[in-house]
Amino acid sequence: MRQEDISEIWFEYEGTPLKWHYPIGLLFDLLASSSALPWNITVHFKSFPEKDLLHCPSKDAIEAHFMSCVKEADALKHKSQVINEMQKKDHKQLWMGLQNDRFDQFWAINRKLMEYPAEENGFRYIPFRIYQTTTERPFIQKLFRPVAADGQLHTLGDLLKDVCPSAVAPEDGEKKNQVMIHGIEPMLETPLQWLSEHLSYPDNFLHISIIPQPTD
Amino acid sequence: MGTSPRLPSPMPVAPPVLGWATGSGAERSWLSFSMEEDEFFGEKTFQHCCAEFIRHSQQIGDGWEWRTLKDSSEGYMCKTHFQIKSETLMSHSGTSACVQTCLPIEEALELPLDDSEVTETTTGSQVIKYEYHVLYSCSYQVPVLYFRASFLDGRPLALKDIWEGIHECYKTRLLQEPWDAITQQEHPILGQPFFVLHPCKTDEFMTPVLKNSQKINRSVNYITSWLSVVGPVVGLNLPLSYARAASEDE
Repeated sequence: MRQEDISEIWFEYEGTPLKWHYPIGLLFDLLASSSALPWNITVHFKSFPEKDLLHCPSKDAIEAHFMSCVKEADALKHKSQVINEMQKKDHKQLWMGLQNDRFDQFWAINRKLMEYPAEENGFRYIPFRIYQTTTERPFIQKLFRPVAADGQLHTLGDLLKDVCPSAVAPEDGEKKNQVMIHGIEPMLETPLQWLSEHLSYPDNFLHISIIPQPTD
Repeated sequence: MGTSPRLPSPMPVAPPVLGWATGSGAERSWLSFSMEEDEFFGEKTFQHCCAEFIRHSQQIGDGWEWRTLKDSSEGYMCKTHFQIKSETLMSHSGTSACVQTCLPIEEALELPLDDSEVTETTTGSQVIKYEYHVLYSCSYQVPVLYFRASFLDGRPLALKDIWEGIHECYKTRLLQEPWDAITQQEHPILGQPFFVLHPCKTDEFMTPVLKNSQKINRSVNYITSWLSVVGPVVGLNLPLSYARAASEDE
């Protein structure tokens, strides 16, 4: 290719432009979970799809987006108190730990975002997003408490019943969908608070994919 | 169970002024809605304020509409308008400056040709379509302004083109305060790229507005007040009649 023909890079899988601002594991679960690794995607250097994809002018844009998600997650968990009490260098450490694949560096800061007051049983609200390829909306995100009024811990099943009832089959019905996080299907009885503390992505969100049950 | 750092106690919500919630047959104030919800500015309150806002918009033909989501009680407010963007070279006492003027179409058509003071050469003009969406952020519990601009052929404007249309006095502020920054983000309902004014500081500037209105016992519509602050930064202006309407709603 000639230098002058090259414009912004973008990625695509089976005709779907890939959103760089989504975690790669989420994209894979949502679009290609039944295919074998390595995941084969197409790299483009022309015809950037302006209507579908955000521009990614630099690595700073990725950092800004990541930090924006972390802040939003803390707004939900702690009314932003924990993230706002941190210094700029702590925020930087979070990003650098992720960028350089240094878990200890990352976790030194992130563990503070996973704490909650002793008198509570969990976070204020759980940061989550539910994705389905069959809907117009890119994702569902709502306010949802990890603990019920009576003190019982809400489960993954409770969340789905409340915000995405069509995803869950009726009790005696056939299972239509897989509910997937990080490539696995957690039991619907799992407490949401536990999932948020242990299965969140680095941006502190639970990214949940609802995909059709594979037939094989 | 995690170890517990001692978190500071939550910020107190502004105490409700009882005189507001009741009225002689007037509609309920947004504050009485928020007293029912756990939040200071919850989604129901948001929808109520938008409904009031749109009512006035319809009265003056300002073009705001409500869009509901299919199978849901959620929705957002939106407006589209068109502007002519012309690039003109203006000569003023020997110095020349390149000025971009954005005019609403109505004004552009009435523009008088007056050569007495400046020499203008129009190098080209195009129609730009601006879309403004007001959505509710449940994470920050505030409204958020999403916007995008495109030429009539569908080509979107880049951030730098939009940036050029922003008034000088706002540019300085935006550059100094990164959290008021305009960034490109995915519209949470349409899934398409839009520009967004970051919402995390909204609470900071809205709280004094609301406190003051309580003090002087004059009602405000949260959406009207908020939009009058953030809108002009991105070329969206509100006629003054919105403010008069808000204080008449009680």
